Amino acid sequence: MDLIQTYSEPELVLLLQQRSQTAFSYLYDHYTGALHTVILSIVGEDELANDVLQEVFVKIWRQMGSYDASKGRLFTWMLNIARNAAIDMVRSRQFQNSKQNRELNEDVYGAAGSTEKKIEHIGLRKLVQGLKPEWRNLVELSYFEGYTQDEISKMLDIPLGTVKTRLRSGLQALRQLLQND
Amino acid sequence: MDIQSYISSGAIESYVLGLSDAAEIAEINALRLAHPQIEAAIQDFENSLEKQALNASTQPIPEMKQVLMARLKTEFAQIDPAIAEGNNNIQTPLAPVIPFSQSNTGSIFKYLSIAAMVLLIASAGLNFYFYQQFQTTNTRYSALLIQKNSLEANINGVQTKMLDMYQSMQMMGDPAMVKVMLPGTKGKEQNMATVYWDSRSKDVYLLLNKLPQPQSNKQYQLWAMVDGKPVDAGMISDCAGLCKLKNIPRAEAFAITLETMGGSSTPNMDQLFVLGKVG
Repeated sequence: MDLIQTYSEPELVLLLQQRSQTAFSYLYDHYTGALHTVILSIVGEDELANDVLQEVFVKIWRQMGSYDASKGRLFTWMLNIARNAAIDMVRSRQFQNSKQNRELNEDVYGAAGSTEKKIEHIGLRKLVQGLKPEWRNLVELSYFEGYTQDEISKMLDIPLGTVKTRLRSGLQALRQLLQND
Repeated sequence: MDIQSYISSGAIESYVLGLSDAAEIAEINALRLAHPQIEAAIQDFENSLEKQALNASTQPIPEMKQVLMARLKTEFAQIDPAIAEGNNNIQTPLAPVIPFSQSNTGSIFKYLSIAAMVLLIASAGLNFYFYQQFQTTNTRYSALLIQKNSLEANINGVQTKMLDMYQSMQMMGDPAMVKVMLPGTKGKEQNMATVYWDSRSKDVYLLLNKLPQPQSNKQYQLWAMVDGKPVDAGMISDCAGLCKLKNIPRAEAFAITLETMGGSSTPNMDQLFVLGKVG
């Protein structure tokens, strides 16, 4: 009996801005899997990913009024919200961990190592593994870990201009991988 | 500007993935308006990004949707615009209407409302009881207040009388006071009065030792006998101890007659009660 209604994107956005529960339900059903993957590929742990996902949907719902269709697709907008929320979560976790004692820190690093292996096989991050190492590293650091190009330049001791050029080349290559995926 | 090289520079991907800085964003926002090829390239990348993400879907915990729906419950429009539009080709199954009384929260509200009602009735009953108590107490209090005031007035009266009597006793003991005994006249021997006459001021005070209570329209009157003629020395009213009467400079005798209320100019000798000579 479930007649799945599909909405065009402008219809969906309009209904969401009018606070339609049905539209939100549709949005959730349609995008939860994609956003969950994006978040999981950054935070690495299922439990954390669930927490972030819930906050992301609340944020999307509440900030719907500020979505501007001329700046990009709805998914692109949601993707950026999800990515930022996930990076924020990782950052706050790292901050909390850094306050704990050294013995614990070793465990944390150990655990982080194992999750990294796992997240490399998720979503876009899996595709990034197919890039040349010099590009891959920069895409990882900037897109999945949220470092600014300036920070990466200092961290890797590479000139900012080089970081920018390499990152863009890496992203351009990623686009090719995406289209062939 | 070489549009093709811009498109293949990675600037578009950086922009869509949210990795561009403010200047780069401003630049590309202007370029996409001016160059349909750039706009198309942006949309193209966005589409492949979305497609890849949808293909790579992984599901969160199954309770997630329920949790979210409950959390945003109050934020949804009360009349869902997706349904209110009346668009016939939109056939979204409606959430079943849960009768208020059968839902969990409903039953809690039911119990709460019953409890509230019971409390309200109990409170109303107590209010009524206390109001009655208050009324009774208030009536008793008013009665007590009246009683207290009248007792106070009585005490004041008694105190005034006592003071008068004390002053009378002082005067009786004063050696300057001339004491004139007025015994009962013939046939009225049981009667008796005493005049205290201040030899300095010549004021006359009277002590009624024994005289019958006059009728309500009658009053006793004191007379002073001056050169054999009766002179009005004042009307006798109810007083404690000594009654102060008129100032009589000179007199040979004093007498009391019963006169009509207010007194007379000449004594009614038939009603002579007591008589006594000075000295």
